[in-house]
Amino acid sequence: MPLDPAFVTDWGSASIRLATPLLLATVGGVFAERSGVFNIGIEGMMLVGAFTAVATSYYLGASADPAVVSLLAALAAMLAGGGIAFIHAFLTVTRRVDQIITGAAINILALGLTNTLFRAIWGETGRERVAGFPEVRVPILADIPIVGPIFFQQSLIVFVAYLVPIVAAFVLFRTTWGLTIRASGDFPLAVDTAGLSVTRVRYAAVLFGGTMAGLAGAALALGAIRYFTPGMTAGRGFIVLGAIVVGRWHPMIAAGACLLFGAADAFQLRAQALNLGIPYQFFIMLPYVLAVAAVAGAIGRANPPQQLGRPYRREAG
Amino acid sequence: MGRIGWRGNQEKAGVGSTGQQSSAPELLRMERITKRFGDLVANDEVTFEVLPGEIHALLGENGAGKSTLMKILYGLQQPDSGQVNLDGRTATIRSPHEAVSLGIGMVHQKFMLVPNLTALENVVLGVTSPRPPLLELRDPRRRLMKLAEEHELAIDPDVPVWQLSVGAQQRLEILKALYRGARLLILDEPTAVLAPVEVGQLFRVMRLLAAEGRGIVFISHKLSEVKAVSDRITVLRLGRVTGSLPTAEASPSILSSMMVGRDVSLERVSPPVQGDAPILEMRDVSCLTDRRTPGLASVSLTVRRGEIVGVAGVDGNGQRELVECIAGLRPITGGRIAIQGRPPKGALRKIGLLGLIPEDRHEQGLVGDFDVAENLVLRAYGRRPFSAFGFLRWNQIRSHAVEQINAYDIRCPGPEAKVHHLSGGNQQKVIVARETQEDPALLVAAQPTRGLDVGAVESVLNLIRGQRDRGAAVLLVSTELTELFAVSDRVVVMHAGQIMGTVPPDPARLGEVGEMMMGHTIQVASDGVTAA
Amino acid sequence: MDFAATLPRLVRRVFYRLVVPVVSIAAALSVSGLLIVVASGNPLEAYGAMLQGAAGSIGSLATTGVRTTPILLTGLAVAISFRAGVFNVGAEGQLYLGAAFATVVAVAPLGLPGFIHVPLALLAGFVGGALWVAIPAYLRAYRGVSEVVTTLMLNFVGIYLISYLIDPITGPIGERNASYAQSALIQEAARLPVLISGTSLHAGLLMGIGLAVALQILLRYTGLGFRLRMLGGNPTAARFTGMNSSRQIVIAMLISGGIAGLAGAGEVMGLRMRLYDHFSPGYGYDGIAVALLANSSPLGVIISASFFGALRAGANAMQQATGIETSLVLIIQALTILFVIFGPLRGWVATRTTRRAGLTPGGSESAP
Repeated sequence: MPLDPAFVTDWGSASIRLATPLLLATVGGVFAERSGVFNIGIEGMMLVGAFTAVATSYYLGASADPAVVSLLAALAAMLAGGGIAFIHAFLTVTRRVDQIITGAAINILALGLTNTLFRAIWGETGRERVAGFPEVRVPILADIPIVGPIFFQQSLIVFVAYLVPIVAAFVLFRTTWGLTIRASGDFPLAVDTAGLSVTRVRYAAVLFGGTMAGLAGAALALGAIRYFTPGMTAGRGFIVLGAIVVGRWHPMIAAGACLLFGAADAFQLRAQALNLGIPYQFFIMLPYVLAVAAVAGAIGRANPPQQLGRPYRREAG
Repeated sequence: MGRIGWRGNQEKAGVGSTGQQSSAPELLRMERITKRFGDLVANDEVTFEVLPGEIHALLGENGAGKSTLMKILYGLQQPDSGQVNLDGRTATIRSPHEAVSLGIGMVHQKFMLVPNLTALENVVLGVTSPRPPLLELRDPRRRLMKLAEEHELAIDPDVPVWQLSVGAQQRLEILKALYRGARLLILDEPTAVLAPVEVGQLFRVMRLLAAEGRGIVFISHKLSEVKAVSDRITVLRLGRVTGSLPTAEASPSILSSMMVGRDVSLERVSPPVQGDAPILEMRDVSCLTDRRTPGLASVSLTVRRGEIVGVAGVDGNGQRELVECIAGLRPITGGRIAIQGRPPKGALRKIGLLGLIPEDRHEQGLVGDFDVAENLVLRAYGRRPFSAFGFLRWNQIRSHAVEQINAYDIRCPGPEAKVHHLSGGNQQKVIVARETQEDPALLVAAQPTRGLDVGAVESVLNLIRGQRDRGAAVLLVSTELTELFAVSDRVVVMHAGQIMGTVPPDPARLGEVGEMMMGHTIQVASDGVTAA
Repeated sequence: MDFAATLPRLVRRVFYRLVVPVVSIAAALSVSGLLIVVASGNPLEAYGAMLQGAAGSIGSLATTGVRTTPILLTGLAVAISFRAGVFNVGAEGQLYLGAAFATVVAVAPLGLPGFIHVPLALLAGFVGGALWVAIPAYLRAYRGVSEVVTTLMLNFVGIYLISYLIDPITGPIGERNASYAQSALIQEAARLPVLISGTSLHAGLLMGIGLAVALQILLRYTGLGFRLRMLGGNPTAARFTGMNSSRQIVIAMLISGGIAGLAGAGEVMGLRMRLYDHFSPGYGYDGIAVALLANSSPLGVIISASFFGALRAGANAMQQATGIETSLVLIIQALTILFVIFGPLRGWVATRTTRRAGLTPGGSESAP
C-alpha cells in the first residue's frame, strides 16, 4: 500500500513542502558557520520570521493582491530575522561573547516576543488565516505523472528554494566573497593580514543567515498553514543545525539533507495511519540522530570550519 | 660592501649582484623606534635600514626585540615613538594590509595560510579579482606559475594547503608576498622549520630575489646561516641595537659578544659532581610529533644524580617531544625510558620523582584564574598535608603558600592573588617552587627563561642550579646557548629528533655546537651551507 | 568615585559578585517596563502584581518554590559542567531521560517503604540523565568531538524517545487507552513529600538546595572539585600535572547529566505523579541562563533560579491583575542574559578587582 502512486505523490509533495523552510534556513546557516559563527538562535530567528510574515500579511489584509501581500510579508520576515541576527552578530563578533549562550538567549527572547505580540494581536484563540504564497503550477511539467505534482505544483516559495542552494554554492565557491567567508571560518588571521575585515565578513554572513532564517519562517507560516501559532517552529531551527553538519557545510549536500529530513517528517505524519510497526517518533528523531553520527565521524570525515565558535582577536594570532 | 660576505659555495651566488653602495637610496629606514609593553622595553630607539638588493640579517636571541620590530614594520603593532621611512618617504603603517600595499611582504614563523583552501586560493585571498566579484582563477594561476618558475619556488596550485609539506607552505608564503608585489620581504626565522637541503634552496631563492633589487630582512638567531647568506648584519640585544656591520667584517666572536654581552659566559660555578647514579635513562627512544611525523629518532641519553645536562638545538628539533616523552605525556614508538628504573607513565603523579617546568608557562604550567596558593599545589593538592580523606585543607595550603612565597621570593600581594596578575618571572618562580618542593630525583626544565627579563633569568637559573647542587638530576632544554653553557655540566645537541653529540660547556666549543645544531656531525666536513 | 573601595572586604567581595547580575536584572526590568508602557500598561502595577503572585502569601511563595525546583537543578547541572570547562547544552534531554528512568522505578509496585522507594527512583533518575550524556562525554573525552552539537541534538532524540515510551498505543510504559501520552500514576511510596500542606511545594526544592550546597563544597573543598576546576581553568596545564583529563571530563559530564536527570525525576515524583509528553517547557535551556546569571557558582544558582522561578510564579498573577501576557517573563529572562553577557559592566568589575590587588592585568608579560 505505501507504494501506490497516490501515496507517493502525496508524500513527495509534502516532503518538498516540509523541506523548504529547513533548506532556506540551512543555507543561511552554512554561510554563518563557514564564516566562523555558530548560531543556535536560528530557531528564534525562524520564529520571529514566521510571526512577522503572518502579522504583515494580516495587516495588509485583503487590500491588495495576495501575491504582492505575501511577497511583502516575506520581505518583512527577512528584515526581522536579519534584525535579530544583528543582536547575535554584535554580541558574538564585536563583544566576543560565547556564541551558544547568545543563541540560547535569542531563542528565549524570540519566544517571549512572539508569544506576547501574538496574544496582543489575536487574543487567546484567534487564528485567522492570512494570504500566503500563491500556488504555482508549471504548465506541461506539472502534468508528468507523480513527478509533476511533487515538484512543479507547489507554492511560490518552493520554487525559490530550488534556486537557493545552487546560487549559494556558486557564491561560496566561485566568488571572492565566498572565498573570504570560507577563509574567515578556517583561519581568520589570514583574512585579516590580507587586508580584509574579519568583523565585516562575519557580520555579513550572520546577517545573511538571519535573513534566510526569517525567510524560512515565512515559508513555514505562509506556505501551507497560513496562520501563526506560538512556538510553531517546534525545533526546526535545531534540525537546521543538524542539516548543516550532515551536509558538511556544503549548500548542496546540506540541501540534500533537508530533503531527507523533510521526507522523514512527511512520512512520520503518514506512518501513524499506515501501521508499519515502526513508531512514528523514530522518524522525527532521524535528523538529530544523523547529526550526532555526522559530528562523531560515523558518516565520513566531518571537517568543520576550524575556528567555528571562536571569536577572533587580532592579538591572539 | 655588497656581496663579499658570502661564504657559501653556491654557484649562483654572485649572479645579478647589484653591489649597492651606501649612496643608494634606502628601501627602508626605521628610525629610533621605541616600543614598550608595560615595564618591558621591547624596542629601545632601534634604527634599522635595508637597501635595495640587500639581504639584511637581523640577529638576536629570543626576546631581543626582533619580532616586535618586524611587527611594527608589518603594521601589526604601533611604535610608541620613532618613524618608518620607505623609499625616503615617511610611512604610517596601521595594518598588515597597508604594509602589503606599500610593498612589504612577510613570511611569518607560523604561516598565514588557510588550511582548507588550495594554494592558489590562498594566493588570491584579498587580492582584487580580474572580474569581481567572481573568483577568476585562470589569469592568477598563470601569473602564479610564472612567478614560481622564475624564482625556483615549485608549487602545486590546486592542492589544499593542509596537504602541503612545511617547505612547500613556506614557498607558498613567499609566492603570496611576491604575487602582491613585495619589494621588501621579511623572513621570520624561515630556516627553523626546514630540513638542511631545503635551507640551501631557500638561500638560493633569497639571492635570486635580492638580485632583482628586492630588499630582504632575514631574521635568525643562527650565526652560521646569517654568515652564509646575508650582506649585512644588525644585532639586537634586549631591545637595543648593539651593532650593525657588513657580513664580511663579522667574525663569530664579534657577533657573539654583540648578541650576548661579554659577562654571561664566564660566570660558571661548577661544583664537584656528587655521584654517578643514573636517574634518567633513555635507550633508542623514538616517537611521533602531533602531526604524525617522526619526532624523536633513536635517542639515547643518561642524566645522573647531581648533574645538569643541557639540551641545545634550534626550536622544533625534537626538544618538545623529548620532554613530553620523559614526562609520560607522549607515547613512545620505540626504545625504553626509565626514571629511577621505572617507566615514565604516571611519573608526573609522583612529585618526589619528577619535576617538570614546561616550556609554555601560561598554557602548560599555570591555571591563570587560580590564585598563587592553588597553583603551588597544582600537583600536590591530593596528598598530605594538603588533603585528607579527599577533602582539601585550605589552612595547610595557605601556610604552605606563604612559606614558598618567602622562600622563593615570589613577588605578589599574597597567596590569594590570581596568578595571571603576576609578572612572568614571578609566575615562573611559582612553577619552579611547585616542581621542586619535594626535591624530585629528576627535574626537567624546558625553556625556563623564555621571555623573562635579565634579573628573572638569573634567579630562575640559580634555582635550577640549586637543585643540581642538592643532588637532583637536571635536564635543561633551552635555545639559549649562553645560558646552557653557563649552568650545564655537559651539553647535548639535538637536530631533527636526534642527538648529534655531546660537548663540555667550554665556550671554545660553541662553534661545534653551532655546527651540530645545523645537523652536521663534528667529524664529517660539511657541505652546502657552511658555517664559519 | 569608587565608593566600593571604602567598604569592608567581605562586603566588597559580595558587592562585586552581585553588581553584574543585579544591574542586568534592573536593566531588563526597565526595558520590559518600557514595553509595557508601549502596550499602554502600567509597569509598576504589573511588577507589583507579579511580586504579589510570587511572594505575597505562603501559597504564592510555595508556587515560586515549585517553579524554582526544576531550573535550580538544571542550573546546577549546567553550572558544574561550565566549571569543568564543558558545555553541556543537553540538560533538556537528560531531564527527560531522568524522568523516564525515575518513572519506571516509581510506577513499579515494589511494596517498599517511601524512604527506600523514593531514593531508589531518584537514583534511577540520576542514572538516566548520566546515561544520556555518556555518548557525548565519550566523544568529547576520547575522540575530541565538541559536546555542543551532540548534547544539543540528543535533547530532541530524548524528547521523542520519551514520547515513544509513553505512547498510548505502542509505548512500553504508556498508559493504554489514555487520551494523552502519559505513563501510569507513580506509587504513593515513590512520591516526594509535600513540604507545606495545601500547596504543591515538594521536597524536590530541598534536594536542589542540598545539592547546591554539596556542589559548592565539592568544588571548593575536595580533590575532585579541585581537579574539575583545574580542567575548566586550563586543561593543558591539568594534563601537564599528570592528570587524566579524559576521565575528569567524563566524570564532570556524568555528574552534570545526572543532576539534570534529577530535575526530571523531581518533576515526576514531586509534582506531576506521571510522565507526560513534552512536560518540560525548556527547563534545560533555562538552566543555561540560570547558571550564567550565577556565574556558575552553585550557591549563586539558588538565587538566580529563585529569581526566574519567582518570575514564572508571578506571571500568572500579573496576567490576571493587569492582562499583560505571561510570556513577558520570557522577555525579561532573555534580556537579563543579554545584559549580563553584553559585558561593559563585567569589564568594569574586572578592572576594579584587579586594581584592588595592586597590579595591572597581565603584568609585564604582554610582550610577544
